[in-house]
Order: sequence, then structure tokens, then C-alpha cells
Amino acid sequence: MTVARRLVGFNLLTACVLGVGGWYAGWYGAHAVVGPSLDYFGDIDFNELSLVLAYLGGVLGFLIGLGFLNYPISRMRGYPPSLREKETGGVGRYFGLCTDHKVVGIQYLIGIGFFFFIGGLNAMLIRTELLRPDHQVWPAGTYLTLVGLHGTMMMGMFTSGILGPFGNYLIPILIGARRMAFPRIEALTFWLLMAGGVILETTVFFGGFPTGWTGYQPLGTQANPGMDCYYLFFALVGISMTLLGINMIATIVTMRAPGLTWSRLPIFVWGVLSTSALMVLAAPVLIATLLMALLDRTAQTNFFIPSQGGSPYLYENLFWFFGHPEVYVLALPGFAIVLEILPVFARKPLWGYRLAVAGLLGVSLLSFFVWQHHLFVSGINADLRPFYMFSTELISIPTGFTFICGMMTLWRGRIRYSVPMLFCLSWFFNFLIGGLTGVFLSDTPSDTTTHGSFFTMAHFHYTIMGGLVFAFFAGIYYWVPKMTGFQLNERLGKIHFWTMFILFNSTFFPLFIAGFLGQPRRVVTYAHNLQFINDWVSVSAFLLGGSMLVFLYNFVKSLVFDRVPAPADPWGSKSIEWQLPSPVPVHNFDRIPVFSGDPYGYGEGTGPFPIPAGAPAGMN
Amino acid sequence: MTELAQHTTDYEIVEGEAPEVLARNLSAASQLLASATAFFFVAFLFAYFYLRSLDNAGLWKPKHVDASVTWGTIVTFLFVASAILVRFGAVDQKADRRPAWRLKGVIALACGLVALVLQCVAWTQQSFGPADGGYASVFFGWTAFLFLFVLGTMLWLEMTLATSFRYGKQPMGEAAVAPGHASGDPGRMGHDIRNPVALNTAELLALSFYWTFLAGIAVVSWIILYLV
Repeated sequence: MTVARRLVGFNLLTACVLGVGGWYAGWYGAHAVVGPSLDYFGDIDFNELSLVLAYLGGVLGFLIGLGFLNYPISRMRGYPPSLREKETGGVGRYFGLCTDHKVVGIQYLIGIGFFFFIGGLNAMLIRTELLRPDHQVWPAGTYLTLVGLHGTMMMGMFTSGILGPFGNYLIPILIGARRMAFPRIEALTFWLLMAGGVILETTVFFGGFPTGWTGYQPLGTQANPGMDCYYLFFALVGISMTLLGINMIATIVTMRAPGLTWSRLPIFVWGVLSTSALMVLAAPVLIATLLMALLDRTAQTNFFIPSQGGSPYLYENLFWFFGHPEVYVLALPGFAIVLEILPVFARKPLWGYRLAVAGLLGVSLLSFFVWQHHLFVSGINADLRPFYMFSTELISIPTGFTFICGMMTLWRGRIRYSVPMLFCLSWFFNFLIGGLTGVFLSDTPSDTTTHGSFFTMAHFHYTIMGGLVFAFFAGIYYWVPKMTGFQLNERLGKIHFWTMFILFNSTFFPLFIAGFLGQPRRVVTYAHNLQFINDWVSVSAFLLGGSMLVFLYNFVKSLVFDRVPAPADPWGSKSIEWQLPSPVPVHNFDRIPVFSGDPYGYGEGTGPFPIPAGAPAGMN
Repeated sequence: MTELAQHTTDYEIVEGEAPEVLARNLSAASQLLASATAFFFVAFLFAYFYLRSLDNAGLWKPKHVDASVTWGTIVTFLFVASAILVRFGAVDQKADRRPAWRLKGVIALACGLVALVLQCVAWTQQSFGPADGGYASVFFGWTAFLFLFVLGTMLWLEMTLATSFRYGKQPMGEAAVAPGHASGDPGRMGHDIRNPVALNTAELLALSFYWTFLAGIAVVSWIILYLV
């Protein structure tokens, strides 16, 4: 009886059923409005509206099934505000609407990890095709769809790759709060992202999309109905990003515990704050842009159709106004994780705290003034090039601030080479290469020859995978003992690190050479003299995928089978999250703590966070 | 003790958060939401000037494309009137003149909804459609999404009004609301917010700020789309 009642309640199963029902309701509803035909695939070429409304109906049904409309409806009936849904224990809370920020953080970790895995598989398929210079494995259209799926999934999902799991889990704890500002919205951001991920994958049923992750016009207007899946996915990601950013900023600004002044804020919180500011301001432009594209495809508007008074360059400009800050949405949390973890393993205070904060804020600000460097070879007015070249190169200064702060923190430190630290150290190497090669792309003359080649592709993999994904894994190894109460296997972790680090460089460094030799991105064939490089890269990529399996094995083995309890503070950190039991109790603190020191006082006494006016839940 | 029982115990310990915390959350969030909204419409503003300056194929604004100033003025006037009424209503609510706020709130809601209906009528009365060039695209896109933003704001206004009506006779600060009503958890032992009805004022202030900001965007839209 209990099981049956759970099955018919508001949960993931109900959400999936209503999601499918909503999809069909939208599909048939649109046909009822715009045409008599109900032929499933036969008429989608001339009825984009039915597909868009089908997905919108599906998302609405999904959210209804999870119970997201219950609260707004009760508010419309006049009931007063409340903070949380009914909270239960057990595994079931991970499969539905849960307003505990720690559960949402773990939901994000698993959900994003799942789509990261799919994105990685797409990369393997791409590299399979590139084993031979003439395309043989996939038709060219399928290859382009694979490239698009890989790029879009990674770029879209990883906008919340660190803020989702670690931001949601840790920010309330790090600032001494019991919750996020808006717990239901926090949960909504996660489920919107999951709905979006499913929508993107279903593009394969509607012909895929040929544009890569940027969705450029006029290709986007002319593409298969699968293109609609791309636009809907990214629009949902944009909504999720905006809400996540608003929630994070509101939480940090209004819910810091007494004594936690701005100058005592952990650097990770500063990183989240600056990233959130980018999300709140850049993501709405993306949403508007994608909605314009959808209107062009469904409502006969002409935003991007030059023969009808529109312009494809409008899309390019608007997309990159979001797109370049997006790069920093991905990179800044990586900076922040590295700067947060380094002092723990160097046993030294963070060097140049204020300089690091200035670096994070400076990057955020400048990232809005560089977007046209993506259009250097796309017909931009030549007089504008020097300004955007200068502003792009200027951004290396605040980036350098964070780099210097990290390096100086290591200087004369008593460094422990634990797994999180290894990932942090590799970040310096990877991001340095990514940053230096970025100068070539910001410089107009060299960009003219490298733009659109594998050089660009190698550059952003060094910045995004080298900068973000390595920091992401540092965060996983560092905080999973806190999140789960169990330690990950150190030896397997080191095997994972070394294989990933070596194979990552073995995969992406040769692509700089391929790019210099003229291999273009998103083209299924290449010159025969480049086969050796491509084969090398493909084999390295397959092995790199294998190193991820080592992580997966470690994760499952350590958390499901071995379950070795983690010590209370396995890394000797002085940060407040390690003063709480692992995993952290539902409401974090029985009483709100009072902060009275800085979080990086290593070698300066026993602990920076004496909590005289409150104690962690379960500790008193 | 099982994990669930332990969590439940912890949960009950912390019931009764001071309403001032959520009030601060709402105030900050309304300003952040306004920022996000501004950047959303900046994309349309950029599209307007970009396409207008290019005038591709001479189809920025063909001769027959001429948006009705009358319709635009009426709709914008009603948006602004609604926002002003909510602003004055918030002043009444702060001064504990709640009947006066509710009257203004109802009129503001009516103004907003009538404006939305008239916007729908206005679309059908224009001399052009969305396919008639760059201006037409911007016009229909911009007004359509402004419509959706205003609709969402009217839902928020309705929620605030509904709470005010339901608990209107209780003195502020002493509301006797059954725990868990709004949370979907009738078995809840206590409120997660102490005296949640006291939040009505904070919510109204946040709403008033956002609605005024959105009405400002509507005025800018009116100037750009109808007058320039």
C-alpha cells in the first residue's frame, strides 16, 4: 500500500508519465490549431509549431508530475508563503522535488554526471569517425549532429557543473545559513536542466542539427526539426542559469551569518557570486536570442533571414554576448575551487585574498566587453577589431591575478600531494596552455589563420576541460567525503588522476598542430597527411574515456560497496563545512553560527571559525 | 534512531524562522529579477537598432507596416496605471490600511488583465503580420514576451492579494494560520516561517518594485515601437 501510494504521488515516475502525456497533448493540440494532419513524422517538415508545443507541453507535464505547481496554486488560493515541501528521509527524496539544498546538490552531481557521460560517449563516436580521413562510419549529417550533441551537452550542462552540485550543497553551509534563499526555485533549476538534457538527446528522432553548439544562422533557420530540440534545450538551460544565479546572489547577499563580513567570505563563495552575476545578466540575452530563432522557425518572423529584412549577424552578436561570459561562467568556479583547496594542502593562508577577489570580479566585468572577437573573421567592421582585440587581451590581467594568488599560495608551502591537490596543480598547467593559446585567438592577425580550425578546438578544451573539469574532479575528491560520509579510494584516485592528466594532454595538445596544419572543425573529412595525428588523438581519446571509467569504478566501489567512513576532517581543513558531521544534518545548524576569523588561517592558531553563539547540528 | 527519524527531529527544532529573512530574500530577488528582465529586453532593443540600421533588402519597415499608436498607448497606459496603483497599495499596506490596499490591488489587477486582453486584440488589428520584415518581427516578438512577463506579474499580484483577502481580518503579526497549509504538508507541527502572513508587506514591496520596473520597460517599448 505504501509503495503504491508513493508511486502515484508527485515523483519522478508521475513526472515522466505526465511529461509524455503533455508531449502528446502539445503535439495534437498544435495540429488541431494549425493543420488537420496527425501523421506522426510525415508533416513535421512543415509544422515546426507542433514539435515546439509538444516539448513545452512535455516540460509542463513533467513539472506538474514533480509537484512544482502545487505551491503556486496554493498561493493563488490565498495560503501564505512557506519555505519547504514536506521532507522525508531515504533514497526517494533524490527522485523528486526536494527543498533540502544538500539533496539538490547531490541530485545535480549525479544528473550532470550522467549527461557528462553521454557527452563523453559522443566524443568517442566523433573520434571513431576521425580515425580515417575519408568518412566511413557515419554519414556527414550524423557526424555533425554528434559534434553538436557533444558540444551543446557539455557547454549547456556544465554551466551549472560546479554551481549546481557544489554551490547548492556548500554555499548555505559556508555562509552559516540553513537554506538557500528560495529552496523550491533551487529544485526547479535542477529539474529544468534534466528536462532540457532529455529534449536535446531526442533531436536524433527529428533529423539532428548541423550547427554545432553555437546554433549559427542561417543554418539554424534552414535545419531539420531536430534544431528545435537544440533551441529548447538551451532556452531551458538559460532559464535554469538565470534562476540559479538569482538564488545564489540573494542567498549570499542576504543570509550571511553574523560576523561573516565580505572580507571573511571564503574565496569559493566569491567565485560563485561573480559567476552568478554573469548568469543573471548574460543568460537572459541567450534566452531571448533562442526564442527569436524559435519564432523564426514557428511564427514566420524574420529576425535572422536577410532576404526578409533580418540578419544572421544579429544572431551571432547576441549569441556571443552570452557566449563569451558563458566561457567564464564555466571557468570562474574552477578558479574558485582551486583557490579554495590550495591553502588546505599547502598549509598556508591564501596569498593575496583581496587580489584574488579583484581577479574574479575583474574577469566577470570584462567578459561582457570581448564578445566580438568571435566575429573577427565574420564580417565585423574592421575599425572595431582593435578595441575587441585590446579588451580581450586585457582580460588576461585579472585572470593573471588569480593565477598569481594560487602560485604564491604554493610558494614555500608544506604541500601534500593528495588527489584533490593533484587535480588543482594540473589545473595550473592546463589552464596556462589554454590561456597562452587564447592570446593567439584574441589577436586579429593570428586569429585570421587559426579561427575555425582544430587550434581553436584544442584551445577551448584546454580552458574548459583543463580549467573546469579538472577543478570539478578536485571538488569531487575533496567534498564527496563531506557529502556522503564516505572516503573515495586514494589509490584509485591517483590512478584516475595520472591517466586523465597524461591522456588529456596526449589528446588535445596534438590538435594544436592539426589546427596549424589546416584541419578545420566540424568537417567529417581531412587531408591524408593528417591521419597519423588524428589516429594518435583518437586512441588517446579512447584511453581518456577509459580513465573516466576508473573514476566511475572508484566512485561506485567506494560509496556503494566499501563504504569506508570518512574522518571528521580528512584534509585538516579549517573551513566551517568540516566542523559539521558528515553527511550534514538536514538543517545544518541548530543555531546560526557567529564567524570571528578568516577561513585560511593555516599556521595561525587552531581554527578560524570558533562558533561561540551557535553550534552545528548534532555537535552540542 | 533511523536516519529519517533523526532528520525529522532536527527539522522540528528549527521551525519558526524569522519572517525578516525571507523578506530580505524577496527584496534582493526582485531587484535581481529586474536586472535579468532588463537584459532580456536589451536583446530586443539591440535587434531593433541593428536591423533598422542594416535595412536588409529594404525590408526593415515596408510602407504598409505601421503599428497602431492608439492601441499601444491604451495598453501601456493601463500597465503604468496598474503599477502605480500597486505602488500606492504598498504604501497603504505598510501603514496597515489594508482595506485600502486591497481595493487598489483589485483595480490594479483588473487594469493589468484588461491590458493583456487589449494587447491580444491589438495584435489582430495591426495592418501587418510577423512575416512583414524586420520591424514586424521585433514588434511581435517584443510585445509577445512583454505580454508573458506581465502575465507572470499579474499572477504574483493575485497571490499577494489572495493572501491578504484570506487573512484580512487578523491583526498583522498575529496571524493564526494552520502550519503546513502552503507547503503541502498538513501534518507539519509548526511553521517554517514564524507568522508567515507578516510577509505580505515584504512581498508586496518586492512585487511593487518589480512591477514598476516592468512598467518602465513597457514605456520604453511604447516609445521605441510606436513613436520612434
